[in-house]
Amino acid sequence: MSDEGDLGAVAAKGRTRGIVARHAGILVALVAAWEISCRMGWLDPLFFPYPSAILLGFWRLYITQGNIWPHLGLTMLEVLVGFLAGSALGIALAVCVGMSDRLRRYLKPYVVVLEATPRIAIGPVIIAAFGFGWTSKTAIVMLVCFFAPFVNTLNGIVGVEPEKQSMFRSMGASKVQTFTKLLWPSALPEISAGLRLAMASALGGALVAEFIASNAGLGVLITQYTGTLNMASAFVCVLTLSALGYFIFRGMEELDRIVVFWSDGDRTDAMSRRRKAAWRAKMGTTS
Amino acid sequence: MADRGDRRDMSVIRAEALRKTFGGGAVVAVDDADFTVREGEFISLVGPSGCGKSTLLRMVAGLLDRSAGTLSIHGRDVTGPNPAVAMMFQKPTLLDWRTAIENVLLPSEIGGRVTDDDRRKAMGLLRLAGLEDFAFSFPSQLSGGMQQRVALARLLQTGADILLLDEPFGALDEFTREHLNVELMRIVGEVGATTLFVTHNIGEAIFLADRVFVMTPRPGRIAGIVEVPFERPRRPSLQQSAEFNALVSKVRATFETETTAGEDA
Ligand SMILES: Nc1ncnc2c1ncn2[C@@H]1O[C@H](COP(=O)(O)OP(=O)(O)OP(=O)(O)O)[C@@H](O)[C@H]1O
Ligand SMILES: [Mg+2]
Repeated sequence: MSDEGDLGAVAAKGRTRGIVARHAGILVALVAAWEISCRMGWLDPLFFPYPSAILLGFWRLYITQGNIWPHLGLTMLEVLVGFLAGSALGIALAVCVGMSDRLRRYLKPYVVVLEATPRIAIGPVIIAAFGFGWTSKTAIVMLVCFFAPFVNTLNGIVGVEPEKQSMFRSMGASKVQTFTKLLWPSALPEISAGLRLAMASALGGALVAEFIASNAGLGVLITQYTGTLNMASAFVCVLTLSALGYFIFRGMEELDRIVVFWSDGDRTDAMSRRRKAAWRAKMGTTS
Repeated sequence: MADRGDRRDMSVIRAEALRKTFGGGAVVAVDDADFTVREGEFISLVGPSGCGKSTLLRMVAGLLDRSAGTLSIHGRDVTGPNPAVAMMFQKPTLLDWRTAIENVLLPSEIGGRVTDDDRRKAMGLLRLAGLEDFAFSFPSQLSGGMQQRVALARLLQTGADILLLDEPFGALDEFTREHLNVELMRIVGEVGATTLFVTHNIGEAIFLADRVFVMTPRPGRIAGIVEVPFERPRRPSLQQSAEFNALVSKVRATFETETTAGEDA
């Protein structure tokens, strides 16, 4: 058993090293192709700056001028606050609707219509109402982050097997017990998936909101740099957003693995050992 | 369960002209069922798919309102779920995010604070189900048969003295099912519960039961009640005996007369 584990670990390490090497190779080749295309005149460096120029741009924006920081911070703040508020609202409302059949029947048509409406269409209205500052951007991110958690939470709660609900009823469980011990944990995998979807659109929502009208944020920075044809700096902002999106995505994946531990074999094993140790500590080894 | 001896001859479940229709009377799921179940008795309810076995059980569990007739448990009218009654469902109902022991403890949690006595009882029931070594495994780490044994332990943790089992091992392979049936008989015998066991397998129904209720479909009714005289403990080899096969024929005959009678009408 442990032999197998060691072999598996060694093989996995070898595989990881191979994958890293391969991706590094692909990246270098792509960047080199880009640089060469610019130098050969196949790509117009006016719109697609030299990779070397972008690299210098990073140095300028982050270190020597340091002017990207406040914009980056603002966009991140909008994304974070909007995401937390929007998804919390979506989940809370879905819980209310999910627990009440009547509310569900009444609200269903409105939800369908709202879901079919592109959320960003209301963006200009929100900006008109809340102004050019960060509140309106946060409100737009909230709006963008509301629906996926709402719909997924509702589906998760409504989709719990009737047998399990009957089991709770036959045990005399209260509504609160049924919710905390059955409905909520059953819905967690879908809620987590909804949060990932919301997070994925949060960044885009914030940017579009900043494009519409704003005085600060990465979206504004991109518009300004593009407007003055400072493409290298614009690309620095875009790549910054790529990195931000990547880390957010990975973070959400990690959160999913922790919260929904039972859908992952290794995590389930680890949790099983932990629960066993906790029981032993409490009850002694004999029982 | 302490006063078991005193109530030996009392009927625990009593149904008269019990009836359940769905869709405003369009589907008669259970029609005119009359039966009593005595303290500590093991009843098998056998019948083809769709004859109303689950419906009957859900009414006894207080999960489904009846359309007509009377139904009482321990002499009291059934109006809803009753702590004296616990039901095991046709589909698996373990909670994936709980270990086996935590699943078994669920009824205690719902009943109030979990005490160390509850925990010891739960571990004892898992031991009784042969799963002591898997107490901290999650459902995804257990086989289908083990999962149903956990569900059985959870059923017993409720402390109910009436157990309703709706094809508890129906989704398992024949070997596992046969093995678990023997285990079930042993465990139920040990705790001395009154049991209503649903199946569509005639042999299984007879092997387990003191009496077999034979149900026929459309409308679902109890067509006959067959006494099973074999002594306990029973061994699987019993199923090869001539007496056993005679009983199987008798149950089958109940189906056939009922079906032809239905066709004549
Ligand atoms: N909630 C319901 N609404 C409408 N009809 C129902 C409902 N529940 C059961 N029925 C009908 O009642 C009849 C009996 O169903 P039931 O589930 O009790 O059968 P069963 O004997 O348990 O079958 P199986 O062996 O397949 O589980 C069926 O015709 C079924 O369609
Ligand atoms: Mg059924």
